[in-house]
Formats: sequence, structure tokens, C-alpha cells
Amino acid sequence: MKQLPVSSLGFTLLISALLIGCNQSASNEKSGGSDGKKIVVGATMLSMQNEFIVNVHDEMAKKAEADGVELITVDAERSALKQVEQVESFIAQHVDAIIMNPCEVEASSPAVTKALAAKIPIINVNSETSTKPSAFVGSDDVESARIAMKFIAEKLNGKGNILMMHGYMGQAAQIKREQGAQEILKQYPNLKLLAHQTAEWDRAKGMSLMENWIQSFGSQINAVFAQNDEMGLGAVKALTDAGLKDKVLVVSIDAIPDALQAVKKGSLDATVFQNAEQQGAKAIEAAVKLAKGQPVEKETLIPFQLVTKQNLGEFLKQ
Amino acid sequence: MENSYKERLRGLGKYGLFIAFFAICLTLTFLAPTFLTVQNLMIIVTQVSINALLAFGVTFVIITGGIDLSVGSIVAVTGIAAATFAHPDTYPVIVPIGMGLLAGLAFGAFNGFIITRSKVPPFIVTLGTMTVGRGLALILSKGRPISNLSDSFNFIGGGKILGVPTLILILIVTFIICSVILRKTVLGRYMYAVGGNEQAARASGIQLSTVKMVVYALSGGLAALAGILLTSRITTGQPNAGAGFELDAIAAAIIGGTSTSGGTGTMTGTLLGALLIGVISNGLDLLNVTSYYQQVVMGVIIIGAVVLDSLNQSTR
Repeated sequence: MKQLPVSSLGFTLLISALLIGCNQSASNEKSGGSDGKKIVVGATMLSMQNEFIVNVHDEMAKKAEADGVELITVDAERSALKQVEQVESFIAQHVDAIIMNPCEVEASSPAVTKALAAKIPIINVNSETSTKPSAFVGSDDVESARIAMKFIAEKLNGKGNILMMHGYMGQAAQIKREQGAQEILKQYPNLKLLAHQTAEWDRAKGMSLMENWIQSFGSQINAVFAQNDEMGLGAVKALTDAGLKDKVLVVSIDAIPDALQAVKKGSLDATVFQNAEQQGAKAIEAAVKLAKGQPVEKETLIPFQLVTKQNLGEFLKQ
Repeated sequence: MENSYKERLRGLGKYGLFIAFFAICLTLTFLAPTFLTVQNLMIIVTQVSINALLAFGVTFVIITGGIDLSVGSIVAVTGIAAATFAHPDTYPVIVPIGMGLLAGLAFGAFNGFIITRSKVPPFIVTLGTMTVGRGLALILSKGRPISNLSDSFNFIGGGKILGVPTLILILIVTFIICSVILRKTVLGRYMYAVGGNEQAARASGIQLSTVKMVVYALSGGLAALAGILLTSRITTGQPNAGAGFELDAIAAAIIGGTSTSGGTGTMTGTLLGALLIGVISNGLDLLNVTSYYQQVVMGVIIIGAVVLDSLNQSTR
């Protein structure tokens, strides 16, 4: 095992060297005509099947076009291995900067190391890797759950029975959102976590789980905290069907369009807004600055915001 | 001694599923006071219905000796196809239903076409169309859920008629139709014949390719029904809906005694298989057991069912 990385690294270097050779001759021909060199940014995204990630990417594309930057996007399809390979190919293409939306904390780290070794700036957007990149743009997931749970605690006056729906167990977002929720629960000893279970970020699964919970706990339930809106909306549907929605508070995270509509209708009590637009735009901004050799903030944290019926207006416009 | 032991196991294999089902229900009744209530039983059947519909289609396919891995993706494609036409004040509710069913039948027929025209095994063909289907669902929806569906559309999978959820009623009707197709029609007999012994079936003049085409189209059509109902139940068309459903459906069929080598299987068995999966998942939720254990329990039951099935076959 110890031998493998070295030899594969050697192989990669050989291939990259070859590709760089080809690429340079090609770019020489290209830049022969005009001198105004366009900045090229390579982006690898966690999953283009995820609505939030698609939103972040759309904003990156918009900002890139406005700034005259060429953006090459690839989808890592939730595979860290694939993501590392994609970054390797960006390095081989000699892009000016790389934006990575990491699949995993540990397994995506080698990509950062490789980009830095090739002296290409790399920016992590939305989530982190254990190896520190040139810059990080995103939000702290722990904070989102703190905001959601705090809202529940205040609404219940610090006393009541709560159910929590987890995302995919073991994913960074699930771990951090659970951590944030538990921190708040510790501060309110009279809030009792009746049960917690995964619904795998999925609306249909969230709905089934809520139906089963209603059978076991019925009128004991005071509030449900779902770690994303999809599951939260599933819970809302099950509670509405059982005629219990008026008695149970439901709060979730992400503020997807469906959730905002549900807050408007009053069926979802609150959601937490993670600013995809700003994350995307700031990531491109940082990439351009780094490509030009200008200094940037090491960490740009974009704050979460609680969305309730009161302040809904400002989010619906976006 | 040896013989009577095998004899006993064989008996257990025949009724094993019923015994296991009632034993688990009985245990849950004692452990969870809310398990055996009319309301909870209705919830279980509602939750099971989507998987059961898929499993009926897969049962047809497995009986002919094939396999269909694409049903989960068909759920997504047809759900998106239906949701696209289901916005309020656009088309009457029959249009989204029709579009969804049409998409599913076409998808299934395409599976059948490739499988019968080429010599490529169904496992590989449907593995390919599974990926194609997922991609199509993402393309059609641009990677985003389609919501804001009309009330009449949301009723078909989420409403109640005389206090009974529509999903349960549709499940019962579909179950009866599928059972009749399998047991009372020429087509059903041909399915068993094709799966039992393809050479013999061909020799006796059965149009193998026609039977297979119909079987895959049926599977696609039932997956479409499941996709439409799921979309209606959660009131939104989701491009990543149905991921992994194909495995649950195949599990239900196999637990229900459908032999993976083809030629045997019943709709009653498949329904019971699906119910068993649903009961376990509901029961473990009621008992607040983490989903990690649920997966282990489910795996053990699948292997147990297949082992009993193979014992049954070797003594036949």
C-alpha cells in the first residue's frame, strides 16, 4: 500500500507532463493572435443532482460570464476518487484556478495537495477538506442547526418533546447539523429528544418516517427538526394528513423554493437560508483574484439566516 | 432421519413466508402497543404499495427468467413526465397520468426490444437503461424538483375514498389484475413456460420475443404507475426519486418465493414479501431501532428466503 501512491504519482506526473507538453503547444498557437488572455477556472462539483449545488453552480456560471472568465465545470457524482482525478486533469490542462465543492472531508483532500503542489490556486466552496486550500467560501453547517433548534426552543419556551430527522448518516452535513442541534438541546434540559432516525435527505422517506412516529408518539410530539427541507416537507405532509400540523412545529434547513412556499402557506414553521448565490459569486471572485496573484481572505463565511413568515418577503424575491 | 429432516425443511420452505410474516407481526404486537391498530396497518400498506407495484412488474420479468434493474429510474422519469403536465389550471388530470404511463410503457418496451433483438443479457441491458433513465429524469427536470401540482393530481396518490387511502385501493385492484394475468391467461402460462424451459417453450411454438416484450412493457407500465403515485403522494416530481427501489422490488419478489432461475413465483407471494419488508421497517421505526439494524435484518431475511427456496427446489 505504501508503494502504490508513489508509483501512481509518478505515472500521473508522466501523463501530466505529456499533457502539459501538448497543451502548451496548443495554447501557443491559440494565443498567437490576441494577447488578452482569458482566465480559465476549472470547477468540480459534489453532485449536479442536488438542487442546492446546482444553484451554487448557476451563480458561479453567471458571475463568470459577467467577469469574462471561462468556467469549465465537471460533476464528481459524489465520488471523491473521481473528484481527485478531475482536479488532476485540471492541473494537466493548466487552468488558472480551481474551484472544488468537496465530496468528502478526507478523501477529497489529496486534490487540494496536488493543486497546491502544481502552484494552481484552489478554492473550496460550500464544504471543507482536512487539507487547507488557498481559500474557503461557504457556511458553517453547525451554525444552521443551532439557528433551527434555537427557534424551536424559543417557540416551545424551552420545554417539550422533539423528533429529529437525520440526513445520510456519516456525511459531513449530517454530522455537523446533528452537532449543532445537540449543542442547543444541552442548553435546554427540559427539551426532550423523543427519537431520532435517518430519512436519507428524502421527502418520501421523511413522510413515511413521520407517519410511523405519529403512530408511536401521537400527541406527545411538540416539534420536528429535519436536517433538510425535503425531509421537513415530508414530515409536514404526514402531519397535515394526520390532522396534527397545528400542534406540531416543523423546522428544517436549506430554504429551497418548495420550503419557502410552505413557509408562506404556514405549513412549514421555519427554514434556514443558506446563500447559494453568494457562495457561488464569492467563489468566482476569489478564483479570479488568486489567478491574478492578488491576496484574498483565507475564509469567507457567509452567514445563515432564519426564514419565518415575518421575513419571508426578502427571500422569495431572490 | 435425514429424510424426515429434509422433509420438514421443505414444509417450512413452502409455508416459511407465512410463518415468518405472522411470527414477526406477533412479536411486534407484543413489543409495540401501537403496531396492531387499524390506523397503523393502513399506514404500512400505504407505505408498501409503491414497492409492491414495482415488485409485481419485476415478478413477471423474473418468472420469464429475466431481471429488470431499470424500474427505479422509470419511477423518476415517469414521475417527472407526469409532474410536468400536472400544474394547476393547465391540463385535465388524465393528461399527466397518460403521459407518465406512456413514458413507462415505452421505456419498458425499449428494454424488451433490445433484450429480444440482441443476445445481451437482461441484467446488462437494464443496467444500462437504469443509468439512461436517471439521466433523462435529470435532463427533463433540469436537476430540480417540479412542484406546484394540481389538487386533483395530488389526490390520486395522496387522497382517501371513504376513509381508505387511494394507494391501498389502487394496490388491491392492481394486485387482482396482475394475479389474473399470471394465473388465468394464456400469456401467464407462456411466462411460466418461457422461464421454466426456454428451449421447450420455443419448440412448442411460443413466440418468445413477444412474451418477453410484453413482460418488460408490463414492468415499465407498473413502474410508471408507481412513479405517478409517488409523485402525487409527495406532491412533487423528484429527479432522484426511486433510487434503489429496484433492489427493494427484487427483494420483495424473491422473499415472496419467486425463483431467480425463472419459472416459479406468484403475485400473492410477492405481495406478502413486500408487506414483510414494510412491516419490519415500520416495526423497527415504532421501536425506535436505528436504520443500521434495519438493513442487517432485511439482508438476513432475503438470504433466508433464498436458502429456503433452494432447499425447496433441490428436494422437488
